[in-house]
Parts: sequence; structure tokens; C-alpha cells
Amino acid sequence: MNVKPDFSGPAAWPFQSVLVANRGEIAVRVLRTVQKLGLKGIVVYHAADRGTLAVKMADQAIEITGSTPVASYLNGAQIIAAAKTSGAGAIHPGYGFLSENKGFCEAVEAAGIRFIGPTPEQIDLMGDKVRARNYVQKAGFPVAPSAIEDDDPGTFVERSRKVGAPLLIKPSAGGGGKGMRIVRDLALLEQEIERARSEGQRYFGDGRLYCERYIENPRHIEVQVLGDGQGNVVHVFERECSVQRRFQKIVEETPSPALDEAKRREICETAAGIARAIGYRNAGTVEFIFGQQGEFYFLEMNTRLQVEHPVTEEITGIDLVREQLRVAAGERLGYAQADVKSQGHAIEFRIYAEDPGRGYTPTTGPILVLRPPQGEGVRWDSGILQGGEVTAAFDPMIAKLVIRGSDRSDAIARADRALKDTVLLGCKTNTAFLRRLIRHPAFVAGDIHTGFLDANPQIAAEPELSDQALHVLLAAAALSTRPMRDVADAVPDMHAAIGTWRN
Amino acid sequence: MKRIESKLNTASADFQANAAHNRKLAGEFREKQRKAREDRPQRDIDRLRAQNKLLVRERLKKLLDPGTPFLEFSSLAANDAYDGEVPGAGCVTGIGIVSGREVVINAGDASVKGGAWYPLTVKKTIRALDIAIENRLPVVHLCDSAGGFLPLQADLFADKYYAGRIFRNQCILSKMGVQQVSVVLGHCTAGGAYVPGLSDYNVIVRGTGAIFLAGPPLVKAATGEENTVDELGGCDMHTSVSGTADYPASSEEEAIAIARDIVAQFKRPQKTHIEWQEPEAPFYDPDELYGVIPRDIKQQFDIREVIARLVDGSRFHEYQPSYGKTLICGYAHLWGYKIGILGNNGVLFNDSALKGAHFIELCNQNRTPILFLQNITGFMVGREYERRGITKDGAKMIMAVSCSEVPKFTVMCHGSFGAGNYGMSGRAFDSRFLFSWPQSQISVMGAEQAANTLADVKVRQLAKQGKKLSQADIDAIRDPVLGDFKRKQSAYWSTSEIWDDGILDPVDTRNALGIALSASLSAPIGDPRYGIFRM
Amino acid sequence: MHHAFKLGDAEHNLELSRGAGGYRLHLADPVIPFDLKPGADGHASLTLDGTQHEVVIATRGDDVFVHFDGEAYQLRYEHPLKRLAEAGQGSAEDKVLAPMPGSIVSVQVNAGDAVAKGQTLLVMESMKMETTIAAPRDGVIAAVAYDKGQTFDRDALLLSLEPKP
Repeated sequence: MNVKPDFSGPAAWPFQSVLVANRGEIAVRVLRTVQKLGLKGIVVYHAADRGTLAVKMADQAIEITGSTPVASYLNGAQIIAAAKTSGAGAIHPGYGFLSENKGFCEAVEAAGIRFIGPTPEQIDLMGDKVRARNYVQKAGFPVAPSAIEDDDPGTFVERSRKVGAPLLIKPSAGGGGKGMRIVRDLALLEQEIERARSEGQRYFGDGRLYCERYIENPRHIEVQVLGDGQGNVVHVFERECSVQRRFQKIVEETPSPALDEAKRREICETAAGIARAIGYRNAGTVEFIFGQQGEFYFLEMNTRLQVEHPVTEEITGIDLVREQLRVAAGERLGYAQADVKSQGHAIEFRIYAEDPGRGYTPTTGPILVLRPPQGEGVRWDSGILQGGEVTAAFDPMIAKLVIRGSDRSDAIARADRALKDTVLLGCKTNTAFLRRLIRHPAFVAGDIHTGFLDANPQIAAEPELSDQALHVLLAAAALSTRPMRDVADAVPDMHAAIGTWRN
Repeated sequence: MKRIESKLNTASADFQANAAHNRKLAGEFREKQRKAREDRPQRDIDRLRAQNKLLVRERLKKLLDPGTPFLEFSSLAANDAYDGEVPGAGCVTGIGIVSGREVVINAGDASVKGGAWYPLTVKKTIRALDIAIENRLPVVHLCDSAGGFLPLQADLFADKYYAGRIFRNQCILSKMGVQQVSVVLGHCTAGGAYVPGLSDYNVIVRGTGAIFLAGPPLVKAATGEENTVDELGGCDMHTSVSGTADYPASSEEEAIAIARDIVAQFKRPQKTHIEWQEPEAPFYDPDELYGVIPRDIKQQFDIREVIARLVDGSRFHEYQPSYGKTLICGYAHLWGYKIGILGNNGVLFNDSALKGAHFIELCNQNRTPILFLQNITGFMVGREYERRGITKDGAKMIMAVSCSEVPKFTVMCHGSFGAGNYGMSGRAFDSRFLFSWPQSQISVMGAEQAANTLADVKVRQLAKQGKKLSQADIDAIRDPVLGDFKRKQSAYWSTSEIWDDGILDPVDTRNALGIALSASLSAPIGDPRYGIFRM
Repeated sequence: MHHAFKLGDAEHNLELSRGAGGYRLHLADPVIPFDLKPGADGHASLTLDGTQHEVVIATRGDDVFVHFDGEAYQLRYEHPLKRLAEAGQGSAEDKVLAPMPGSIVSVQVNAGDAVAKGQTLLVMESMKMETTIAAPRDGVIAAVAYDKGQTFDRDALLLSLEPKP
């Protein structure tokens, strides 16, 4: 980025160490910038993560405990205690876990530690889907028709019915697709509401729901914003995240192939406007649902670093984590919208430990061999190491492959090679599926929507193996299996050379 | 060691005619084998299938290591006996590779008369166990037999080399420390029960396998006791109560897999060390053997042309090339193994017999196995040769052959007549393995000679009684003798009677000998020691 | 064909043998010569039927993992003695295996309980969704392997039923 922000550098910041309250690839990602800036990087970790890259990389690593591995990363008090013990001046929450937890944010600040994120109020506002939606609507930005349970719980079912099918039920406190259900047949409405409530209760400890009109074949387009809480907000362009399975993103790219220049400006400025309206501080993402006719509605705003932030970094040269740290340290953005420029095309692939051919069910296993792809325009963000293990304890996303190209087709070509070269043995991943996806004519044409994979299940299906491929696999496996190889090797040389001979 | 320079013109009409003739004979041999192995009454196949049994060849395929050879013995045993109703003598024997180990396999063929033991079945089984003893090879018995064939019990039960010898051989093997596994895939009744009874490891299939001295009907007749097969001698009873069998299996496939795993536990033998070098294919194509062998049994040919198509690189170190030239002696490598070869290039004279005896001693001295390639019309006869001591010179050769300690291998390449059969290590001389080519013949003398001799005797007897015979009368005496002689001197008769270990298609000879050589080296080679050579 | 690999849901029977210069793969019909030469960086070069292929191979226990042409495959070896012994006894329905990795939300039966086909045995959670595991047949619970909150891998034995009398 050719911008020269007016800041005096990390030496003058109120914190000289940052504790990353997260794990996996995002802990590694944050640590990389923290350490590059000359700050001390600290992580907390559960025993299940002891051998991971983040723990190895960190200047200091502090073990935390919990009833489950996930619970330990959700235990704010323990993490704040760890921050105090280590003398951390700031806490970066990453994404997920406590990243959008207002209580945690408040407790961190009450402990005299900087929270790398927005203000508790901003978290609170955007964290509640219903209030966020109302706020955005009142500020004059577009939202989709909906019914909110909290408005009048007694009439929620009735009002939901009025929104009309198809509709989408979501937990008010939710995010990341957890507990979301589509209802196409209103006869099933009440049943689905109860199921969603149970899941919301379990995941978020909050059973409140809302529902909204479900837009058929929508695209998911989001805009990266940056605010310094001192009146300065810029957008850092959009990301298209329409390739999803089970409401979870798999492939994200920027620029969006769906937008022309005018539409791009319109949606990006809308996002920046929303962020500006709340005086936003931190990196954030405004998500929109984008209809086939070009209409778009505010979906939600994520007040944290997003999984897919690297594609934005790749085309703008902005280190978003560094920007988060700067504004949290009290610096101004120091540049204007016109200074933010993009070049080329970037695509991120989420490498999941899952089996697309079996309904994307998660897979587990040891990481016996890991050879990330290399080459021009290839970025591998990951927290796993060869010798580690993928368990069911955490989210199945194990890495992100980020590809930069001069344009979209160049990026796709590079991605195809990089996916092919990605070697991970011991635990099945979706890399081959991703190759099938990006070779699909609709993807190549940029003609995708969030239901694309559901509508094209053949992409996920394991393709039939050719005889030759099967023979290669069986030959390799047979020779690698001691009870088979030993028997073959035990045959005396002459008899082996004579082979299957009968007299 | 230089290469043999073949003198044959493979483009010649004679060579081509030989090749066509012998190829046809090989084809006929293959077809007889195919019939003996595969042609069975459908009802016998159906019966086995209904019992969930595999055919013996299917069992073998599962038992043997994939991609390894199986040297089958006497595939045409009993083919000229019992009106041809007991193909292969109702059993399959041979040397195969199981879990990387060379083993002798003794498998009953229940598709032939329910696997009943005929006299030749017993002979073939004993021979297989003799091979196991001589070469110290473990044995895998695949047991599926109805028991002795009662109408012929007098020809298979009591004599020294009858059925008892099977069990005696099993005991001797065990005494030698050679291990045996029995897989009980059918009923092992009476004597048959001792096959697993005398084995070190027994696997038995639930439902089809059974071991008992007497089956349920006999028990009922004897004592009135009623039993089911399973109660009396089934899988679970023997593996959990009597301890007669060791491993229960729920299918034939599992039983065979267990047997393979048992064999995998066997200590592999320390092979006897002999000279060896990296094997090399013969320079001359073994396929040309078809053109080497003459169409006429009386026609001579150069045995070196055969050697050139058997040994590594066709290389041969010939011993005494200028002395006793009717017997070719020398060294070569076959599948890498150093061997001494004696091959006939004519009748044995005094010098050739002495050369042979000397060469056999050399081979014993330097631990070199010996291959005999027989094409022999006998020792030379006549006053001059008797005066030179042809008998005592032949005796020297027979003494050397008999007392030889190194493994011997014999191939009946063409004719084998008279005492030449003995001097060249015929069946009686304990060659570890003896194979015949399809056109080869064995008899005490030529058929015509014999028929004429017999006719002359008869004519002279009748002449004494004052009777005079017409040519037609003489022919009537002579022709049946000639016919019988011809039948019984053919390789098919030999092999039916198990005078050999099987007929070989000539092109298979090299592999068969390689496998035989390797097997023979599982036993140690003793120090040479002889009786009295009549000087 | 004693040996078998499970690849996906398919079972492939095969044998391996050694030839004069390399190995041979024996399938139901063809016999295919091949050889494997280790290369740099864990890669190996597999020449099969005259064509050369790049592979990366790793093993753990009975699992062989092969990276080939951009896809990672898992082949599970089934030892013949185990496979054949299992073929001869017990129905697969006696074992309730995890359809996917996950954690236990609730267990609704105890060992010794009589259950009816289709009855809920436990509820598991995976991929942010709850899945109900039902009895595959009428029977009696022999053992329950997991407690609430515990995590498990795919194909883990969750519950077993007493064999049918």
C-alpha cells in the first residue's frame, strides 16, 4: 500500500506484548504480525494443542484448562489471569471463541489490558442480530423482511409465518451458521423453531430466535472495513463468499465476480457508511445478502478479524492485523479511502478436515505427512504441523490456502496447481474437492450462489477411480503393508523370478 | 566356461519336422493333463459345491504364495490304470512356496471317487513323503479323503510300501525335525485319521472337517452308540475337547489362511552351500528342444544340443572331451546352481563307463549335484567288450551312481534301455527327482528285439515238439508281445505307474530342475564313501 | 485372494508377489508388474505397467495413506486372519459404530437394557448438528462405550448389542 500513515511506531504504543486468546491458524497469523512488529507474542493453549505451531512460535505459551478443549478457550477469567501472569499489555481474540463477547471485552479492559477489537458497546450492538438489524435499518441502510422473537415472543410463530416461505430461522445470539434452519414448508415451522431453539441454547446459551425472508440463490458478499474510533473509516473492498456448504464458507475471493465497478462502489460505501454510523473502531466486516437482481440487504456485521481476511491483504498489501493493533493502540488510520487501492485477484480456500463425498462429515487423524504447496502467489496460513493430530475437539478447518493472481483466471490456474501439490496424509481433507469445484464451468464463469454446492452435489461426490488409479493405490498400499510385503519378500529369488509356473 | 556352439540348422527341414512332431506330442501331453486335472463328472462337482467345498486346485491356489511356481509330481499317475477312472491317482502332490517356504504339498482330490485311496494313490503319496524326507521339506497335507478303496484293499493295505508307509514316513519326518501341517477339509477316517494325528499342527474346518477312527455308521454297527459327525469328530470337539486338532476354522479359506500363518512360523532351513552364481537364461532358446529331439526313438542326436538349451548362458565346461565320447560329462550352471552333467551320446563303452564313474566321483568330491540326461541303448555287448571287462566297468559306474552322496536328478530325454538305465541313475538309484519327456521310452530292451526274442524261444520250444510254425503263427505270437511292450515302454505307462515324478514338456525342464535343485539343498550333503569298485 | 484393502466403502482383494525386477500386483483378473523407487522429500516413483507415477505414502497401523494426482487416499488393510475369522461369526449389526467423528450429547440406554429396533440409543453432535443413533435391531445392550461429553473418531464403537441368541 502506498499510504504513509502518521504513526510513531510500536515502540510508542501503550502495550509491548500481545496475548493471543485463540488457537490454530489464526493464532499463528496474529503472532506473525505481532512478532514482526517487535512485540512479544504470548498464547494460551489447551493441552490438546500443545504440539501446534502457535505454541512453538510464541515467545511465551501458557496452558489453560477446561472441561473440554473448547471450553478452555471460552474461559475468559482464566485467559485474563494468564495475561496478567505474563504481563501482556493487550489481548487479541482472533475470531470465534471470545472475539465478539462483550463481557470478555469489558473484563479485559477492566483488568487494565487493551482489547484488540471494538468497544464493548459496538460488540453488544452488532452481536445481537436483531438490534443490529434494527439499528442499520433506522440509519437508512437496506435490510430484508423479518420477524424478531424478542419484539413479542407470543406472536413470533405467527409473525414468522407472515414473513413467508422460504424463510430462515437464526439464533439471535448466533453466528457462523450455527443453529440456522431454512423452512420451505410452513407446516414444519414450529418444529424447526423448536430445533433451532435447542441448538441455540446449546451453542450460545441463548434460545432466542429471529427469522427473515430467505433469498433464493443469493450471493454472500461482504465488505472489509477499518475504523479507528476517531471518526476515520475506510472500506478495504469486498469479498465474495458465496461458495458455502451448510452455511459455512469454503472459498472466498476478491474482487467479487458479481459486481461491476458501480455496484462495487455502492456496496462498499454502504458498508463503510454503517461502520461510520457507529463510530467503529477495529477491523470489521459488513455482510450482505446479494440477490440475483443486484439487490442487497444488510445481514450482519462481524466486529472482529474474519477468517477470510487474507484475500483482502493479498490484493491491497494492507496487514489487517497490524491495522487492528494500531487503532487499538490509539493511532489514527492516517489514510483516506482514496489511498486504499487493490491490484489483481485473490482466492482463499479453506482446507477442511472433512469428507465432501460423505456429506462433508468431519474427519480426524494424525498428520503423518504435511507438505504445503509453494510458489509464486501461494500463501499457506495454518496452525498444524507434521506429526500433529486433527481431532474432533475443534473446528475442522485446519488451514487456509490463499492464492494471488494477476486476474481471476490466473488465480484459478495457480490454485489448481497449488491444491494438487498440497500433500496432507493421515486425515482426509477437501483439497481434491476444491479442485473439482474450481474446474466447474459455473465457478470459472463466476456464476455462483450460496446454494451452488447443494444444487450441484456431484461436485462433492467422490469421482469414480480409473482402473489405473486404483492399481497405483493398491500397488503402493500393498508394498507399504508389512504382512503383504514380508510374504512377497520371503519368496526365494529363483522362485520369484520363475513366477506363476505350472508343469 | 565357454558357450556350446550349436551345430544345428534350425531352418533345416529335419529340424522343422522334429519341432512340429514334438510340439504335437507336447500338446497331446498338455491335453491329457488338462483332462486329468479338470474333467470330472458334473455330479461330483455339484456334490462338493453343495458341501461348501473348494476343488483341490482352488485350495492349492489359496495355499500357495501368489506369483510362485508349483512343481507338480506325477500329474498323470494312474492314468493308464483303473480304466482311467482315477485321474492323477486322486491326489495332487508337489513342491510349492507357502509363506516363502518350500514345502511338499499332499492334497487329496475329493472330486475323484470322493478322494478314496487306490493303490497308486498310496504310492504317489508315499513318493511325495519320500521326497519330503530326502530333501527335508515341510509338508502341508490337505486332507479330504473317503478312505481306502475297499475292493482293492489287498493291494494297498499291508505291504511294506502300502498305506502304512504313509504314516511311517510322517513319523520319520517328525523324527528328523521336519514339520507338518494338516488341514482337515473333509473326513479323515480310520487310517486317514493318522495323517492329522501324526502332524505337528492341525487346522479343521467347522461343519465339513472331521477326524475319527470310525465314522458314525461303523460305530453304531460296532457298539450301538449313535453319534452325529460333529459329536464324534467335528471341529469344535477336536479343538476344544480331544486336542486332536489345534485350530478351528469357519471356512476352507480361513483354514488355509491359518495354515499359511503356521507355515510362516517355520524356521527356514539353512541351505546346503554349493557353488552358485547369478542365474542367466540359456543363450539358445529352450523352445528349440522340440527341434533337437528326433522323431525316431532309434535315431541318435548330440546331447550337447540339449544341454545348450537347459543351462545358464548355454555355457558348459566339458570334461575329457576326447575320451569316452559316447558319454558327455562336464560342468554348467542351472538357475545359478553349479551342476555336473552326464549325458549320453551313444552306447556306453568301457572308456565311457570309466569316464562316467570318475566324473561322478569328482562331483561328489566337490559337492556338485549331478544331472543325468538319459538317451541310452545300454552298455556295449560282444566278445571283445566282455574281454575288456564291460561288465565290471559298467559295475563301477553303477557303484559310483549308487553311492553318490550329492543330489542326483534324472531326465529321461529319449531312450532308456537295458542296464544303461541303471548306470544313468534310473528310478532304482534314488535320484532326488526323475522326470520324463513325452516321447521317451524305458524298457529292458527294444520292443522289436524283445518280441523277436520271445517269438524265437517259442518257435524253438515248438520245434523240439516237432511242430513247425507258419509266418502267420509266428506273427500271432510276436504281435501281442510287441503291442504290450510298446505300451509299457511309453512314458505314459511309466508315469502312470509312478516310475518317475512326472512327464515334462521339454521346455519346462529348466524350471523343474531349478526348483528341484533348490529343494534338494534343504538337506545336507554327506561325505562320499563307496563300496568296492571291481578293478 | 487372501489380502484386502478397504478404500472408501469398497473392498479390494489382491495379492502381492515379487518378480525378477520388482513386484507384481495380482487382482481378480490382471497381474500387473510394478516397482516403487523412493525419491527425494518423501516422494516416491511408482512404475506400473510401464507408466511412472509420483506418489507420497505414509502408514499408520493398518492404514496406508497415498497422495496421488492431487488426492489423498486412505486404504485400510484387513489382515486375512482377522477378516476371515470375522466373516465366520457375528453379524455387523451387533456393533453400533460412529458414522462420523463427534461428541456425545446424551446416552439414553445402559448395558443390559432391552431395546427395540429404531429406538434412540444416544444423541451425538457433529458439524454443529445433532444426530440420533438408533438401535439397528431388537436386542439387549451389551456395552456402552462413551459418556456424555466425550469425543470419538469415525467408526468408533459407540455401543454393542448382545449377539442374537
